[in-house]
Order: sequence, then C-alpha cells, then structure tokens
Amino acid sequence: MRAMVGVDVGGTFTDVAVVHDGRLTTAKLPTTVDDQSRGVMAAIELALERAGLVPRDVGHLGHGTTVATNALLERRGAPTGFVTTRGFGDLLELARQTRPELYRPCVGRPRPLPVVTAEVDERMTPSGVLRPLDRESVRRAARRLRRAGVRSVAVCLLHSYADPVHERETARILRRQLPGVFVVASCELAGEYREYERASTVSIDAYLGPLVSGYLRSLKAAAVRRGLPPPELMQSSGGLAAVEEAAAHPARLLLSGPAGGVAAVVGMAGRDAIAFDMGGTSCDVSLIRAGSAGRSTERAVGGLPVRLPMLDIHTVGAGGGSVAWIDDGGALRVGPRSAGAEPGPACYGRGGEQATVTDANLVLGRLDAGVALAGSVRLDVAAARAALRPLAAGFRSLRATAEGIVAVANQEMVRAIRVVSVERGHDPRELELVAFGGAGPLHACQVAEALGMRRVLVPAAGGVLSALGIAVGERRRDAVRGVMRRLDELRAPELRGLVPWPERERGAVREASCDLRYAGQGFELELPLEPVRTLAARFHDRHAERYGYADRGASIELVNLRAAQVVAGAPLELARGPRTPAVSGPATVHLDGSTLWLADGWTARRRGDGAWSVTR
Amino acid sequence: MIDPATLRVLASALRGVADEMGAGLIRAAHSANIKERRDCSTGVFDCDGRMIAQAEHIPVHLGAMPDAVAAVRELQPQPGDLFVVNDPFTGGTHLPDITLVSVVDDLGLLVSRAHHADVGGMSPGSLPALSRELYQEGLVIPPMRLTDEVLRLMVANMRRPAERLADLRAQTACHLIGAERLRELAERHGRVRLLRGMAELHAYAERRMRAAIARLPDGVYEARDVVEGGGTDDGDVVIRATVSVRGDRIEVDFAGTADQVAGNLNCPLSVTRSAVYYVVRTLCAPDLEASGGAFVPVSVTAPEGCLVNARFPAAVVAGNTETSSRIVDVVMAAFGRAVDVPAMGQGTMNNLVVGNERFTYYETLAGGQGACADADGPSAVHVAMSNTLNTPIEVLEREYPLRVERYALRRGSGGAGRHRGGDGVVRAVCALEDCRLSIVTERRRHPPRGAAGGEDGAPGENRLNGRRIAAKLSLELHAGDVIELRTPGGGGHGPPPA
Repeated sequence: MRAMVGVDVGGTFTDVAVVHDGRLTTAKLPTTVDDQSRGVMAAIELALERAGLVPRDVGHLGHGTTVATNALLERRGAPTGFVTTRGFGDLLELARQTRPELYRPCVGRPRPLPVVTAEVDERMTPSGVLRPLDRESVRRAARRLRRAGVRSVAVCLLHSYADPVHERETARILRRQLPGVFVVASCELAGEYREYERASTVSIDAYLGPLVSGYLRSLKAAAVRRGLPPPELMQSSGGLAAVEEAAAHPARLLLSGPAGGVAAVVGMAGRDAIAFDMGGTSCDVSLIRAGSAGRSTERAVGGLPVRLPMLDIHTVGAGGGSVAWIDDGGALRVGPRSAGAEPGPACYGRGGEQATVTDANLVLGRLDAGVALAGSVRLDVAAARAALRPLAAGFRSLRATAEGIVAVANQEMVRAIRVVSVERGHDPRELELVAFGGAGPLHACQVAEALGMRRVLVPAAGGVLSALGIAVGERRRDAVRGVMRRLDELRAPELRGLVPWPERERGAVREASCDLRYAGQGFELELPLEPVRTLAARFHDRHAERYGYADRGASIELVNLRAAQVVAGAPLELARGPRTPAVSGPATVHLDGSTLWLADGWTARRRGDGAWSVTR
Repeated sequence: MIDPATLRVLASALRGVADEMGAGLIRAAHSANIKERRDCSTGVFDCDGRMIAQAEHIPVHLGAMPDAVAAVRELQPQPGDLFVVNDPFTGGTHLPDITLVSVVDDLGLLVSRAHHADVGGMSPGSLPALSRELYQEGLVIPPMRLTDEVLRLMVANMRRPAERLADLRAQTACHLIGAERLRELAERHGRVRLLRGMAELHAYAERRMRAAIARLPDGVYEARDVVEGGGTDDGDVVIRATVSVRGDRIEVDFAGTADQVAGNLNCPLSVTRSAVYYVVRTLCAPDLEASGGAFVPVSVTAPEGCLVNARFPAAVVAGNTETSSRIVDVVMAAFGRAVDVPAMGQGTMNNLVVGNERFTYYETLAGGQGACADADGPSAVHVAMSNTLNTPIEVLEREYPLRVERYALRRGSGGAGRHRGGDGVVRAVCALEDCRLSIVTERRRHPPRGAAGGEDGAPGENRLNGRRIAAKLSLELHAGDVIELRTPGGGGHGPPPA
C-alpha cells in the first residue's frame, strides 16, 4: 500500500505524519511564515527521508493550513467588491445591530471587511420578482469596481436563497466584464436565508479567494514538481477536499488547522468522546458523538459569521503558558495573557518572570526538570518557585499555590468542555476524554475527575496528532440549498430533485438532511431526510422530544436541504508494539513530546498501538 | 477561610450554573424573542436572597432580579418551591418579563427572567404604544407559587397559549438543570464550603467595586435631562439626578424629577436601579462579573410617585425601553462633572409596532453610540439598556405583509469631535396591507449631547411617505404607505479637528 502523508501548519511548527505499512514517521520543522509552502515541502522531504521513502511512494497528501484564517484575522485579503440590492449596500456594516460588550460602550463590532460596495437595480421577494434585474446597472457596478481596482467580488442579493436567478445573472455579467477577477455569488456557496449571515460568508470567501487560491496553486505546482500527488485540503468540516475545490471556496478552510486533530480523534477514540487539545496558549475542545464530530453552521470566525459546516470546536485562552495573577478583589486568575514561546514560562530560563501553568506543574513535580521540554533547555525549578512566590500570600504553602494555579486553569477547561457537552444536551460522564497537545495529558486526569468522567485516552503521536488526522482523514463535500417551502406542498419526486447532491464519487457514502420548523418559527430542527409522507410525523415527534410539545395541526416549513458526500480515508492500523505493565497514580509517564500525569486513583496501560488508556 | 484559587473556581462554577440554565432555556424555548433575540437572564442567589452570579444578556435585567427575589422571600418559600412574578411593582420590570424563582434545598435560590412574546392586554405582543394603566399591558402576576392551576390561568390570558405554555415549560425546566448543578457543586465541594464560598464571592465583588468607587473624586454632582412627552402631550418631562460619591460609596437620588405621567413611560424603582447600576458598572468595573455584592455600595432613592419610582397602577411598558435610556444619560452626565464619561448614545430604542387582526410585528432599532475619550462611538448598535438583535429583512418579508425599502447607515448623523459619535440607521418599511402603526421614540427634539467639546449627534426623525410625523403616535396605515425611521447619532467627544 502506498504511503499516506499529512502536513499540518501551525503558528510555530509545521508537522508531518507519514503512515506506511502500519508505521508512523513524523517530522517537525519551524513554520515558514512568509510562504508556508517552503516549510511544507521541506518537512515532507525530511519525513520521507526518515521513513526511507521517495515521493512516488506517496498515495495521498493531506494538508491543513492556517493561510485562510490568518489572512482573515489580519485583514490581509484582496481588494474586494461587494455587490448587493439597491438600498442595502450597508448590510455588512449594520450586521445584527448588537454590541459585543455590554459595559464597554466604545468597543465596536469586529471591523467589517474593507469592501468596495456597488448596488444593482433589482428586487426579489419571497413570492417572486418585484423589479427585474437591470443589466446596465450591473455593468455600471462592474465599471465602478474595475476603477477601484478590486481583485475579487462577492455578490449577495436579497432573497437569492429563494430564487437565485438575479444573483446568477449578476455574477455572470460581472465575470464577463471583469476577466481575471475572483467572482463568487452567495447562492453558489451558502444559499441559506438571513441576508447578513449569507453576505458575510460570501464576502469572506471572495476576500480570501485570490490569496488562498494563489497559495494553493503554487503548493500544488511544488508538490507535482517533486513527484508528489496534488494535495487535498482539510476543511473546517473535518473532511478533505481536492485542491481545486478548496481554492474555489477558501471560506471552507477557516478551521483547517484544528480540524485535523479532531479528525484523528474520530479515527481512534470510542464512539463518544471529548477531544481535548491543550497547547501553550489555548485549549480547543470538541464533542464526538456516535463516532462523528459535532458540526455547526452557526459559527463565527474573528467575530464574522460563516454559514458553512464547521466542526463545533470551542476554544478558551488557557494553556501551559497562561500567566497566573491576583486580581484587585484577591482572587487567583489564570490567563488570558500568555507568556508565549518568548520569553515563555519562568522555568524556561529565557527571562520570563511571571508564573505560568507550566511553572506550577513543575513545582508540583508533575513535569520532570530532567526532561527537556519543547526540544530545548532543562527546566529551572528554582526560577519556577521564585515566580510563584509573589502569588503565595493567601495560600498555606508554595505547593498549595501551585495546586491553586492548576485548579483555576483546569476550571477554565472544565467550563469549555461543559459548553460543548452539557450545554448541547450531552452528559460528559458517559464520554471518554482524549487528551493531546503539549499540555493536555498533564491536566487530563483532574479535568476528567471534575466532570465525572472515568476514561482518558492519550493517543500516540499526540504532538503531531493533527497531521496524523490529515493523513488518514475522510474526503467530504457539503452542500446546502435554501428551499423555504411548505412541506405539504412538496411531492416526493420534487423533494428528491431539490437535494443539492455533489457530483457522485466512487465509494462515497451520501446522506441528506433537512432543516424543518413550524411556519412562523424563527429557528429550525435538522433531521435526516426521509420520504415526505413520514417526514412530518418525524418532525412532530422530534419537536415534542426537544421542546416538550408538538403542534400537530400546524403546517411545517422546509427551510434548507443539506447534502453530504463522504469517502472514508484509509484505515489507520499501526503496527502493534509491546504492552507495558500498568502504572498507577500518582505518577508521571514521559511520552514523546508531552508528559502524562496520573492523579491518585488512576491507572494507565499502554495499548498495543502505542496509545495510553487511563482509567479510574 | 477560602483561598484565592478556590474563590475563583467557585466563581466560575457558579457562573456556570447560571450559564447552563440560560443555555437550557434558550435551547428549549419556542418563541423567537427568547430563542433568537436572547431576551432572557438567569441567576444564582444565596439563602439570604443575595445575588451571587448572573448570566445576563440584557442590562435592564441586572438590577431588577434581586427585587424579584426579595418579593418572593416575603412569602417564606420552602425548598422545592417554584414561584412566578411579573408585577412591576413587586419585583418585576414590565409585564412581558416573567420571572421564576426556585429554592434548592438549603443551598440557595435560582432565578430566570425571560421576555415572553405575549402576556395578554390591549394589543398583541403586550407592548401597547398608548397604554394608560398597567391593566392594559397584560396579565399582572404578583409573586405566587407556580402550580398547574396558576399556569393554566396565566396562559388562558395570553395570546397563542400553546406557545406560551411551551416557553414557560422551557423556563421551568431550566430550574431543574440549575438545581442539579448546584447539588453537584455541594457534593463536590461540601455544602459548608460552597455556602462560605458564595458569601465570600459576594464580599469579593463588593471589595472590587468599593476599590473602584474609591478612585472616583468625592463630591456631589447633579444633572437633569428630559423625556419628550408623557403620553398625553409632548411637553418635556424632567428627570433629575443627584450623585453623591463619598469614599467607597455612591448615592443616587432622583429628587426633583417630575411626577409620574399619564402614558407608559413610567418606571418602577427596579428599572431605575438597573439603569443606575449599568452606569456604575460601565464607569467603574466593566469586567466585574455580575454579583449583588458589586451594588452594595450603591444606593438609589427617588420620591414615590415620580416618573422613576411610579406608583401602582401606572402604565410602565415604555419606561423599560425609553425612560431607562434617559436615566442612564442623566446619571452618566452627573458623573461627567467629576470624571471623563462617554458622550451620549442614541438614548432610545425606537420602538415600532405594526399590525392588524392577522399579524403583529414589533422591532427596536439601533442607533449611534456616543464617542469615548479614546475611541469613536460605534455605529448602528443598541446602546445602554438593550442589546437585542435586528430582524433580518428576509425573515421580516416572509413572515409579515411588509417590505423593507431601505436599510442603511445614517451617515453623518454622529456628532463630530476628536472622536466621532456613531451613526444612526435609516429603515424604511412599506406596509403591503392596511394596518395600525404605533411608534414610541425619543431624542426626536433634544439631540444626544457631545462630551468634552464634542458636537451633538443628530436627533432622530420619523417620516410617513416622506413627511415628518410625531415621536410617539398611533395611526392607521394604508397599503403602500412607507414609514421611515431615522435613528439618532451619538455625540462626539473632544473638540473636532480644525
């Protein structure tokens, strides 16, 4: 079998995982910030060399990238035009009229994307055309945008989810008038109703288009030149897409980075788990139910809504480098400030003087001073103790202070996990905690205890888990169509014809779902699609289950139809190594790239595949 | 003694109880007002009725929740009891805000408050523009045990009873979630330690607030402002506030405020208190988590029977939205004599109700925020006491016989200054069938004022088919009529650049 390669580009390191004949080979090189593709190629070459392989041995090359996310957060996208219905050019600035901070009046919403707006003369309504599209007004818009020097254009017209004819025609004229410009219409990407969210999604897509598609083109060329297969990109949904598909809609890549880790956990954990990824500055958690990761289409990135399927990953600013401090009311706080990589925790001895979570773990002996961390210096216990001392006033001892810092950090993570489990209606006690990232295994036992969880899994290769997930991930295509019709008006053949199936792939599993609600309601329930004659009854039942009642006489609206097509990745079967004797807590277990701390009452066993199974 | 880490862990865990109640309520609720606009709040109180933690989405709920708990405690609630109240004169704010209070063993009390889409009264939506007495605004529920009979009586007096019942059940269910969580915490930390932690958290918030107040210069500061019309005429109605800062305490008194009015701009004292707390929190400790301790050093008094401490059975529905905004302006202006404060924001929520026998549609519109010493005021936001979402045009046009002709920033409406005030919005809506229009708006005559030499924001304007109309009115619309609201801009801060 040919080798599977995954490359994950993070803020600091570019990780590669190569899986071949059940063997896992990894490599880690610094990320090349100016052009990620250089670091990507260098890291692949290093990993292949270590595995004794050459490029033509590679059957699959997966890639997770932060290019799209960083460009959005840093507002480094292309000069972009925004074309909409006359009278509504301020849609993106008006947003939903809320303010982000209740008690800080001058904190505004996140800056909208810097677009050049052009309005066109047309008006669609839910019941059809009110004012036909004036094509001349589209050509005028094109001239205005050309003069402004835009390199991409987003088109979002009112009610295009219901009837996209004006929007498609507008996009067609713009493409003809503006050759070489990246043009995308909202109905091509996220045809759901609610104009602000749709406009936000399509404008992000356009804004990122030129930059991301340029990056992907050069990456593909570099890969092919070296004899590697063209890369497939990890999408926010947790599935891979062909490079051309990804380049066409970069807004699908906004969670490309963290998605890999979740994909890996889906591949190796039990059916119900929490993925718990704690690094130096933050902690990502997400829920896995019935063997698949939770997804949401209601997320925002950098405060801007994105109506595309994304893994439901919740992030909190608590990591190993988070700084501990005492506030003016005398409570101990941890984060959100982080000591980062430079100067880093006090115990790194690089000039950091403030106590971090890592320093507290060192003082408690959960980290071993003799073991080099982050591939560098020995840890300096004396420096860690000195950093904790100023915080010790309200505690019995320095050790109690350190325990306090860890307890506060753990509480932040417990809250995050409760958000993705309890607040979504799932009991964490039935779940397995899958801990990875540099600091995850250190905190896993105590976090699990606080949540009433009894099982922890620490995967092998926890330091490059995202890359591994990208190497073995599934290929996935999602599509949505706004329908907005009464269910009782739809006949079975028509309903089947409306499902926005992607082009069929060999070996693909396809599933369709629909968003339903009682007419007049402001929110929807997502149900698997089934024949229209049984769908209504199923909806009433689900509604009764979720909300305590069903209104069986009321008419039901079908708001959206969704389709997903999944081609499973190659199964991950790592060669089985020796089992080791069980270890009982309290104890530390040194892993490759991290440390597992076993609290009192916990026992760890190394499985044949190298992962540690930890129970109490 | 509770150590600094346990204090923080308990603070987060108790806030988590409130958050999970809120998430449960929002997830299970049926109507858009709770589900989409999130007009609801939840809280955890100790056995002495002191607020320990709150998850609030709307500032107007901040100060009013403790009053509801106090009113319920008068009735000697027992563990396992669930109480309901919406009476603005015994712990409520305005009638659509229904509050539930439950007692969890000997651990504490849980509170939820949600704005329900209808509580009966003279007009669908229970936000009548022209009410003259409380009875017209809906069913008045004094504090009482929420039994099945009471529930049936309540929904029998409300429009769309099935939906009301569903929302009330969702609200009841969130108390079960909270109770389970609180018991888990008691088990994990021990009851005594949990209770001691709650007391310490209350003291902690008080310490932090006192430290912040102590940094304000001592003195007595006064300001006055007006609301534009009391319902029966459009003469100005004066609100006057005297703020006394002494060491680590603040007293705010409203002596000199006009008598309560015939219309519905009256406020029960609970709403007035919320508005004062909003200002104090904004100026002193915007990051402090909501806890009753924070407001121990703040006292609020007002002559009985005045606009901001109205007597039963005054109509109060717009006091919650409009007068509360003005109280914020007045109290902020008084503090402005001592410290730098933001310029005035739009100072109104621009309430618009249209409907006929077939439909009712209610919305509030954003406007400009006043500029601060270090930043421009944001445009198109709800300021002060509200923070609800707008209704998407695509939703509005599907659900109601209305069409939005224009929705835009009202450019240039923010006051000039070293930092500019935020711009208001323009929203023009065409009625597609005959219907009745009610508007309750403010800052149509007196503009939001600038600060520190900044210019005023533009006052708002209401138009019908292009012609100016009054700030508060109710009239018949014919199919094809276009109503346009232009909301006020915020004031600027500092002299404008030359």
